[in-house]
Amino acid sequence: MLGIALASNKPPIKPPLQRCWRNAWTSLMAIALLGSACSQAPRPVRTVPIQQSWELQLGSTVGKHRIAGGLGDISIEMKGDRVYIPFDGEVQSNDIPGCYIYSTPDVPAYLFRLCGLKSGKTGRVRSGDSLGSADYLHFAALRRQPDGTWALVEPSKEMLERMISK
Amino acid sequence: MKRRDLERHNLERHPLERHSLDRPTLNPVLVGGMVIAMAGLLVDLRGMVSPVASGSHHEACQGTVNQQVTLSREQLAQLLTVPERDSRDRITQIAGAPYCQLQNIQVRAGVAAERQVYPLAFDPQTRLVILYEGNEYAGYRFSFQ
Repeated sequence: MLGIALASNKPPIKPPLQRCWRNAWTSLMAIALLGSACSQAPRPVRTVPIQQSWELQLGSTVGKHRIAGGLGDISIEMKGDRVYIPFDGEVQSNDIPGCYIYSTPDVPAYLFRLCGLKSGKTGRVRSGDSLGSADYLHFAALRRQPDGTWALVEPSKEMLERMISK
Repeated sequence: MKRRDLERHNLERHPLERHSLDRPTLNPVLVGGMVIAMAGLLVDLRGMVSPVASGSHHEACQGTVNQQVTLSREQLAQLLTVPERDSRDRITQIAGAPYCQLQNIQVRAGVAAERQVYPLAFDPQTRLVILYEGNEYAGYRFSFQ
C-alpha cells in the first residue's frame, strides 16, 4: 500500500506550460505528417555536362553580376507570358540556379534547358502544361554526343514556337 | 491494510485521479492539425497540386503501322551498343522496319528529324523511340505508358 500512498501524495498533474509544449509538439508532428503525405518523391537536380566550354558560361559571374544567358542560348522577350510543354515528359531542376531541364521520350537525343522562368515546376509534365512564365526566357537545345556530353545546337523555330504557344 | 481503510483510501484518491487523467483538453490547434493530417492521408493531393495523371500517353503514330513488329531482348541489347552519330543503316540492320513512324519534327534549325517506334516484345507497354537526322542515328529514348 506504500505505492498507493505515494501515488496519492504525488498527483501527476503536469504544469500548464509543459502541457502546452506537448500539444504544440503534437500539432507540429501532425502538420509534418501532412507535409510528408503530400510531398512528391524528390527529383534530383540534373547536371548536364556541356560539350562546349567557354569562359563566359551561363551561371558564372561578370563583376558582381550573374550571366543569365551565354553563347548558345536563345533569349526571347516573353513579357510575362507562359511557357508550355510540347510533349509529355519530365522537368528537372538544373544545377545552374534558375534553370530547368526538360526532356521527353518523344524527342530522343535532345534535352532542353530553360532559364529565366519566374517559377518552374518539376516532375512529370504533360503536353500543353504550363511550365511557368518569364520576362525573358533563355532557351537552349542540347544534342546528345557519343561521349555522353551534350552539345549546344541551334534550336529550330518550330521547337521554339511549340514551347511558347499552346 | 483493512478493507475499510482501503475504501477510505480510494475515496480520498478519487478527486486526485480526476486530475491525473489530465482531461483531454481539446486544444483546437491539436485537433485541427490531426484532422488535416488524417484528411491528408486519406486524400492524395498530388494530382491536384500538379496535374500528374496516371501514366503518360504515347504520341500517335503517323501513316502505316506494322502490327507484328516488336523488338527482342537480343535486338535491344545490340541496338544499345550502337553509338550516336552512327549510320541509320546500322540500326535498320539490327531492328528491321519500325512498328510505326511519328510525325516528322525539326528540333535543330535546318535539320529534319525522323522518329521511329519499336515496341518491346517482352514489355509491350514500353516502346523504344529512335531519332534520325538524315542518314544519321541521333539517339533513342524509352517511352513508358
